[in-house]
Amino acid sequence: MNWKHVQLIYKREMIDQLRDRRTIFTITILPLLLYPLLGMLMMQVAQFHRESSVKVAVLGYQNWPEELPLLDESANIALNSVSDETRRLLKFELQSMPSHKTDMMAYARELMASNTVDAVLVVKPELAAIATGKVDNDRFTETGMPKTDAAKIDASDTQLTSPAKDVSSTTLEASSGEGLILISNLARDQSTMAQGRLSRLIDRWWDNWRTKKMVKAGLAVSLSEPIQLKVVDTSVSSVRQAVRWSKVLPFVMLVWALTGAFYPAVDLCAGEKERGTLETLLSSPARRREIVWGKLLTINTFSIGSALLNLMSMQFTAGLVVRNLVAGGTGDIAQALGPMPFHSLGWLLLLLLPMSAFFSALALAVAALAKSTKEGQYYLMPLLLVTLPLVGLPMIPSMELNLGTCLIPVSGAVFLVRALIEGRYQEAIVHLPIVILVTVFCCWMAIRWAVRQFESESVMFSEGGRWDLRTWLRHLWRDRQDTARPSIALMAGVMILVIKFFAQFMISPSISIVTSMLLVQLGMILLPCVVMAFLLTRNPRRALRIHRVQINHIFAAVLIGFALHPSYVVLGDAITSVYPIAPETLQMLSKFESNLFDKPLWECLVLLAILPAVCEELAYRGFIFGGLLRQQGLLRAIIVSALLFGFTHAVLQQSITASVMGLILGFIAWRTGGVICTIIVHGINNSLSLTMGWCGRQKLEVPDGLSWIFSSSGDSWSYQPTWHFTSIVIAIAMMLILFQRSRRTERNVLAEMA
Amino acid sequence: MVEVEALTKAYPDLESGQFLALDNVDFHVGPGEIFGLLGPNGAGKTTALRILSTVLQPTSGFARVNGFDVTTHPDEVRYSIGFVSNNTAIYDRMTAWEMVEYFGKLHGIPEERLNQRMEEIFKQLQMEEIRNIAGGRMSTGMKQKVSIARAIVHDPPVLVFDEASLGLDVLVARALLKIIESFREQGKCIIFSTHIMREVEKLCDRVGILYRGRMLATGSLPELAETYKNNDFEELFFDLLNQSDQQRRHETALAASSPSLGSEARSQR
Repeated sequence: MNWKHVQLIYKREMIDQLRDRRTIFTITILPLLLYPLLGMLMMQVAQFHRESSVKVAVLGYQNWPEELPLLDESANIALNSVSDETRRLLKFELQSMPSHKTDMMAYARELMASNTVDAVLVVKPELAAIATGKVDNDRFTETGMPKTDAAKIDASDTQLTSPAKDVSSTTLEASSGEGLILISNLARDQSTMAQGRLSRLIDRWWDNWRTKKMVKAGLAVSLSEPIQLKVVDTSVSSVRQAVRWSKVLPFVMLVWALTGAFYPAVDLCAGEKERGTLETLLSSPARRREIVWGKLLTINTFSIGSALLNLMSMQFTAGLVVRNLVAGGTGDIAQALGPMPFHSLGWLLLLLLPMSAFFSALALAVAALAKSTKEGQYYLMPLLLVTLPLVGLPMIPSMELNLGTCLIPVSGAVFLVRALIEGRYQEAIVHLPIVILVTVFCCWMAIRWAVRQFESESVMFSEGGRWDLRTWLRHLWRDRQDTARPSIALMAGVMILVIKFFAQFMISPSISIVTSMLLVQLGMILLPCVVMAFLLTRNPRRALRIHRVQINHIFAAVLIGFALHPSYVVLGDAITSVYPIAPETLQMLSKFESNLFDKPLWECLVLLAILPAVCEELAYRGFIFGGLLRQQGLLRAIIVSALLFGFTHAVLQQSITASVMGLILGFIAWRTGGVICTIIVHGINNSLSLTMGWCGRQKLEVPDGLSWIFSSSGDSWSYQPTWHFTSIVIAIAMMLILFQRSRRTERNVLAEMA
Repeated sequence: MVEVEALTKAYPDLESGQFLALDNVDFHVGPGEIFGLLGPNGAGKTTALRILSTVLQPTSGFARVNGFDVTTHPDEVRYSIGFVSNNTAIYDRMTAWEMVEYFGKLHGIPEERLNQRMEEIFKQLQMEEIRNIAGGRMSTGMKQKVSIARAIVHDPPVLVFDEASLGLDVLVARALLKIIESFREQGKCIIFSTHIMREVEKLCDRVGILYRGRMLATGSLPELAETYKNNDFEELFFDLLNQSDQQRRHETALAASSPSLGSEARSQR
C-alpha cells in the first residue's frame, strides 16, 4: 500500500469537508450551540418549576380540627413552621358546597374539571374523629398494620373518575384514616406540583398535630418514631457523580461519533458517485484500498472531532447549569449529578478512538451502497437501529462488566470505560485484553467490508433502475441453478427465524411434545428449505446436498460424533457458567425435561435426536450452506450457516453452543461434500445428550463395561476425565483424516462454489 | 498502444438473466492516432473505456494499454492513461489549480516538475483565468478544461475521452476538438467515444462502430466507405445498425425454435 496516496487523499478529503458548510454546521457548529441552548431551556424550566405557584381549592374546611387549623380565615397557611417560599407557592381557596348539591366528591370533580384550580382538597366530616384518635380499630391488625392501604383507596377512587377527563385521585391519609382526599390531574404538570407540595404540607401539619397530642398526653415525642434508620454512605461524592455520569456520557459520545462519521461518509462516497468524481479517482494511480483508507481516516477525524466537541460543550454547559441549579436551591437531581468529572474525558477518549474507527468503517461501507446523497441519508436510520442497542445496553440498570458482557461488540468497550470512570481499575484491567480483541476484530471486519464494497463493481457502478416483483419472480424461476443462490439461502435462514418467532406466540403450550417437535422440525425448519429447493433450483437433491458418501467418511463421522460430545458438554457448561441461565428458563427447561423423560428412550431419541439432526442438517448444512457456498466463499458460508443454526435455538446459551457446533458441522459438510456425515455427527451428539440425561433421570447405574467412559452421581451421568482427554485426541485425529482423505470431494465442492 | 481482443463484459440482469454490455469486441489504436468509438447510447462505449481505465474488470478477453494488461497490471495501466469522462467530474469545493495539482501528486510527479507542467497545461488550455475558481462556480466548458488538464497532467501516452463533448456549447466543443488534435500531434494514442458523427468525420483517423455490445465495423472512413459501398457516413452508420437489428431478430427467432440457443440469444439484447 502506498501511504503517500493515502495521505494525499486524506488531505484532499479533509480540505473538501472543511469547506462544506453543511458538514461543518452538523458536525461542529451544532454541538457547540446545542448544549448551551438545551442548558438555557433547562434552566428556564427549572425556574418555572421553582417560581410557579399552584392553586388548591379546599372543600369542607369546616370539618378541619379546630385545635390545629391548617388555614386561617383568609385561606393562608396557618402553620408557623412553614417557610415563606411554601406560602408563596401554595395558594388555597376555601370553597363551600352550593346548597343544591349534596355529593362533595362529585362537586370536587366538577371544580377540577373547570380547570380553575390545580387540585381540590376534600376534607371529610370524619377527619376530626380520625385525628382525635377515635379511629375504627377494626381497620388495624393485631400487629398494628393497617388492613387497607392507600393504593387500594386510590384504585377505588379512580373508578369514580370520569375517563374522559382523565382525572386521577389520590387519598391523603391523615394517620390511617380517610379523612382527606386530594383530587388531582397527573396529566397536568401544575396539578402534579400541587399534589407534591400539598402532601409535604399535610405531613408537616400531621407532625405538629402528633407532637401536640403526645405532649398533652405526657408521652415522649420520640415514641412516634422510636427507631430511625441512619444511612452511612461510604462513597465519595465525586465517585458517586462519576458513576452517574458514566452511564450517560458514553452513550451521548458514541451517538455523536456515529452521526459525525455518517454525514462525511455519505458525502465522500455517495456524493462523489453522484458528482462522478469517484470514477475519476478510481482511474487514478491510487488503489481501491488506498482510497478507502484515505476516506476512512477523514471520516474518522470528523467522527472523533464531532464526539469531542460534543463532550466538551456538554461538560462546559452541564457544569454551569448544575452550578446554577444547585445555587438556586432547585434540583435534587442536579445536586446528585454534580458537574461532569473532568478525568472521565481521558477514559472516554480511550473509548472513542477504536469506536469511531469502527463506526467510520461501518458508515463508509454502508454509504458505499448509496448512489446519491439523498439515498445515503436513508441508510442512517438502519445503521442507528443496529448500533444504538449496543451503545444503550450498558445503560440498563444491573448490567455490569463481566466475561459475558465484555464479549459484546461496542457494549463491552462501554462497560470497560464505565468501570474506569468509576475507578474500578482492577476489574477493568482483567477484562481489557478481551475487550481489545473483540474491538480490534470488529474494526478489522468493518474495514474489510468497506474495502470489499469499493472493490465491488456492482456496488460502485450499480445503475439502480426499476425493480418489479413480476420480473424478479420470473428471473428466480427462469435463471434457477442446480443449487440455491446465496440470497435465497440467506432468505431461507431468515425465514426460518421469523416463522419460529411468530410460532412461539401462536402454538399453544398445552400441545404434546410429539406434535410440537414435528411442527417445529418438519414444518418450520425443513419445509421452507424443501419448498425453495423444489421451486427455486433445478436440482433439489443437489440443492439439499444429498450426495453419495464415501464409506470412510461415514466411519470418521461416527467416531467424530462420539468424540466431540464430551467437549460439547464442557463447552455448554462453560457457557452457562459465564452466562447463567435465568431461573424462569431453567424451570421451564426442567419441566420440559421431566415431561420428555417420562417417555421411553427410543421415543426421546427419535423426537429429539434423529428428527432434528435430519431436518436441521438438510436445512442448514444442506440448502443454506450449499447456497452460501456459491459466490460467498467457504469461510463465510460456514460462519453464516452456523450463526443462523445457532439463532434458531430459543435459549441464548444454547445458541452459542449450537453456533460453535455449527462451525464444526460446516467444516465436515465442506470436507465430505454433503449432509449425510453431518446428520450422523449431529444425531450422535443429540443422542448422547439425551441418553445421558434419560439414564440419569431414571437413576440407572453406569454398566461396568462403560465405566471407563461415564460416571453417575445422583440423577446425572457425566464423562470420566480420561475419556475427555481421549475423545479430544480422537476428534482431532478424525478431523485430520477427513481433511486429508477427501481431495475428490473437495474438487466437487470447488465446482459447486464456481 | 491500445489492443483490445475478444473483450466481453456481462452483467447479471433480472429480465434476461445476463446482459452482455460488450460481446467479443476487438480493436486496436496506435500512437499518434485518434480512434473514434461511435455508437448510440447504451452501445457499450463507456463500459469498454471503463475497462481500459481499469475501473471495471472484463468478463473475458484481453485489453492492453501501453503494453500492460488491464487485468494483470492495472497499476501500470493507470499510470499510462488519462481518462476524461462525460460528466466532467470536478470537485465543487476545490480550485482548478488544486484539482490538477492533486492528481499530479497522485501520479507521483515531483513538486517542482509538477508546477512547471501545470503552468504549461494552464497556458496551453487557456485556463489561467480560472486558476483560483472553485469547481462549483465553473461553467461546463471550464469544468471540461479542468478535467482535461487533470487527465494530461502526468503526460500519459494514452488518452481516453468518453463523450467529452456532451453538453458543451458549439464554441467550447470546437475548442475541445482542437485540443484533442493537438494531442495527436504530440504522438499520443487517443480514443474518442461519441455518438456525434460530425465529430468523428472531422477528428478521427479510424472509427469503430459499436452497437448493443458488438463491434459492427472498424476502419478509416475511406475504408468503411469502400467496404460498404457508401460514401455517406451517416447513411452507412444507420445501415449497419439496421442490419445488426435484423440479424438479431433472426437469431432470436432461431433461438425460439431451438431451446439450447435460448439463453444465449436472450442475453444479447
